[in-house]
Amino acid sequence: MSVFFLYPIFLFGLIAASLPLLIHLLNRRKLNRIRFPAVRFILMSQKRISRSYRLRHWILLALRTMAVVLLALLLANPIFQTGAGLFAGGGPVSLVILLDNSLSMTWSGDGIGFKQAKEAARLLITSLGDSDRAAILPTSISGKEPLRLKLEKDVLLKELDQIEIADGTANFSIALGKAYELLGEPAGQKEIRLISDLGLTGWDNFSMSSLKQVDPAIPVKAIRVGRKQKPLNIAVKEVRAAGHGIGVDLPLHLEAVVANFSDQEVKDLLVQLSIDGQNRDQKLTSVPPRGDTTVPLQTRLSQAGSHAGLLTIKKDGLAGNASMHFGVHAQDQLRVLLIDGDPQTSLVQSETFFLTRALNPAGESDSSQYLPTVIVPEALSGTALDSYQVIVLCNVATLPDAFVSKLQNYLRGGGGLLIFGGDRLQADHYNTKLAPILQSPIRDKKQGLEATGEKIGKIDLTHPALQSLSDNLLQESIKSARVWGYSRISASGKSVLMSLANGDPLVIEHRVGSGRVIFITTTADRDWNDLPVKTVYLPMIQSLTNYLAGGKRGLLDGGISVGDVKQISLPPGYVGKTIRIAKPNKQPAEVVMNAAQERAAGSFEDNDVAGIYQLALTRDDQESGTPRLYAVNPPFLESRLEEISERELQAKLSPVRPDVISIETLQQGGTRRDLALPLLGLLLATLLLEGWFAQRI
Amino acid sequence: MIADGQKKYFDPKVLAGISNLSLRARWVVEGIMSGIHRSRSKGFSVEFEEHREYSPGDEIRRIDWKALGKFDRYFIKEYEDETNLRAYLLLDSSASMDYSSDGMTKFDYGCTLTASLAYLILRQQDAAGLVTFSNRIENIIPPRAKRDYLTQIVHALENHRPGGETNVGRILEEIAGQIKRRGIVVLVSDLLDEPAQILKGLRLFRFKGNDVIVFHLLDQAELDLPFEGNILFEDMEAASLNVIADPRAIRQTYRQVVEEFTSQMRKECHDSSIDYQLISTSTPLDRALASYLSWRE
Repeated sequence: MSVFFLYPIFLFGLIAASLPLLIHLLNRRKLNRIRFPAVRFILMSQKRISRSYRLRHWILLALRTMAVVLLALLLANPIFQTGAGLFAGGGPVSLVILLDNSLSMTWSGDGIGFKQAKEAARLLITSLGDSDRAAILPTSISGKEPLRLKLEKDVLLKELDQIEIADGTANFSIALGKAYELLGEPAGQKEIRLISDLGLTGWDNFSMSSLKQVDPAIPVKAIRVGRKQKPLNIAVKEVRAAGHGIGVDLPLHLEAVVANFSDQEVKDLLVQLSIDGQNRDQKLTSVPPRGDTTVPLQTRLSQAGSHAGLLTIKKDGLAGNASMHFGVHAQDQLRVLLIDGDPQTSLVQSETFFLTRALNPAGESDSSQYLPTVIVPEALSGTALDSYQVIVLCNVATLPDAFVSKLQNYLRGGGGLLIFGGDRLQADHYNTKLAPILQSPIRDKKQGLEATGEKIGKIDLTHPALQSLSDNLLQESIKSARVWGYSRISASGKSVLMSLANGDPLVIEHRVGSGRVIFITTTADRDWNDLPVKTVYLPMIQSLTNYLAGGKRGLLDGGISVGDVKQISLPPGYVGKTIRIAKPNKQPAEVVMNAAQERAAGSFEDNDVAGIYQLALTRDDQESGTPRLYAVNPPFLESRLEEISERELQAKLSPVRPDVISIETLQQGGTRRDLALPLLGLLLATLLLEGWFAQRI
Repeated sequence: MIADGQKKYFDPKVLAGISNLSLRARWVVEGIMSGIHRSRSKGFSVEFEEHREYSPGDEIRRIDWKALGKFDRYFIKEYEDETNLRAYLLLDSSASMDYSSDGMTKFDYGCTLTASLAYLILRQQDAAGLVTFSNRIENIIPPRAKRDYLTQIVHALENHRPGGETNVGRILEEIAGQIKRRGIVVLVSDLLDEPAQILKGLRLFRFKGNDVIVFHLLDQAELDLPFEGNILFEDMEAASLNVIADPRAIRQTYRQVVEEFTSQMRKECHDSSIDYQLISTSTPLDRALASYLSWRE
């Protein structure tokens, strides 16, 4: 039951209610003086009528004040409403229905929330009179749609039927802004009805200040679609790669983070991983109340390129987004560039002989996941480093300045660099030219007899690059190895991954930008150590190579949220071209690529559906590792089904004071009465009474 | 009856334009007398008034021979006309009589009425005297039947200005004590005093065998209270008596109060065989004079 005013501006007229009193007081101050002989008669008259006169006087004053108040109220045109009020009476109505079609409506009302919301909207539309106008706006609108108030109910009902659940969060700023814009022009009764589950997420970033126009006089009623019981409210929060790099036929370690929004523990929750539509792994897990659980999942990709991934959680009675799309971009073979600083005519005697064999034991180009390429230092200037995931310097004496600069950029971009020592390596050159890369200066070379070689003393098996060497057999192999020549460097602490028994560092690591650098102070061949003939050599080299290639090998893309803008970056050849995008709902879309920092860049805004978006790229680009798909997911917090309270809603919408009513109240109906006519009658009666009293005073 | 054309003689607004009171009185009286049948005065008698020395040309028969015997000089006996009427004209000249809402003040109206009565009385060879009073006797001119006595009365009226408080009842008692011979007492007053006191004084005149006529003069505004808005009424006699009132609010009751007062006066006068006439200052003077003449007849 409420009263609202069609023209509340006239309520300022209530101030005029004080006028009769002011006039009365002013009249008392403005006295005319008259010298009169029969004052005694006046006194006698006053005494005789004093009590009744005062009473009538005050009644007259009250009547005049009441007349002004009634006039102000009449002009403001009050409407008395009971229940939800379905526009019975009160003149033509201009109504905007905001229908919350955010994803959370999927789970509202035990799964029938959206249906209820549409029923409520239908009820409101059918309750409109012939001269009433209305518009129905889903909260997923972009604001660019042409909208207007319509008289035709059948058109409105058709529009209502076409509204479906959107994958994104309700955009109340745009929807409310559009509602006020639509109601800006028409006169008479105006109303905004919001039909929603009042999920908290949609209001998180809402601010009335973002609206261009607000009219607090327009009543806003929120019709709450309620839930009957509290469901198990859970959602996939995040998926991330746990390993180092994503390659073909390599173990793909993923971690799925599942969040529980409910107050009870979720047990026996099945988490499934599928790649390109095929189930690859699944785990059962439990999620504590109001907490997260990280679920490790593993698979192996057999083909290079982009793959559509999907994480799904399954359990009966779950509410919340149960799946998450992601893109996996797998690299086929690791391209490794070996720079041989001591090439020999005999292959066996070459600095890179053992290294090449360790990376490609069979010696065939497609038999290994590593594709080593050997060059001599003189060929460095013509080599494009970006084609390689790892670069290995083997006993290279010096490096050209131009190459050092390219190498720094390569490392900053996530490349990996493995440096082996040797007799040709010029310490002074490395200490000066490669100081930013090497970071630990080379002091001198230490060489001895093979028989007096140092054992390997310490090895950091916790380090990701060496974890694979924890096997006992490999440990024994390491212990049996001897090192009799090496460069002594000043390094200590965590950067030392492996050291000799005498404490001198053997393997150290540094980071340059997002790239990794590992310096092995001894040679890659048997000149200063016998490691190349030990069992551990092959796994150690492959492990170090995998580790170094991590930043450049493959990609796991968790995607963007529905409604966000996707920034697409492609090779420079796409500048000026239009890329076709296939949306999950098969709708075609396009994006124009422009030049930006030696790349082709474009923005795609129409990410309104959750799923995988495919980019139409040429085969060459696909092979070069450019992602050809990306994922779009509902905002994670949209799965949170907590509601905004009425007080919080009123605070959010201040200065507008919305009423929150249940959908049941709406269904029960209500009445609306225009109080203008009764007020007019009351005003006339008051004026007549005032006239009657005035005559008698 | 008075012809329509002659009504202007009695219109207070017209009379107010005539500054000379004597002329105003003659205007009124001649106006009324021209409309009625002239009658001779009733009865005739002579009454010794005074002696004066004989002068050549005087009638021999009027010489007082007894005086010659006593004083050895010739004296002529002067007689005044003996009349059957002695009129005492009592005019209230208190401050309240100085009120006018439109046209003549009550005092001016009273003066004109008094002078007209005096002229009428003297014209008919009756004796007319004048007493003006407020809370005390201001002026007394004993009744005389001399034709030129009007000048003296008018002179007294013209040279008197209203002022002072009213004490009609006490003054009437005082005047009644001074009247030795019976006659007619004409009181012209607004009677703004205690009714009981006034009536007591009037009854004293009646007790001494006088006929009494009361002309109760009130301004039309005193009868109707026609003012608008909130007004501070200041009493014309008692400076401390002020009252704020909304005339519209009290008008009806005020009129009732005034009506009750005049009704009481009328009834009490009637019960005491006193002729009472309530006259508004907007009333033509013929009505007042007609009242007198009707009594005279």
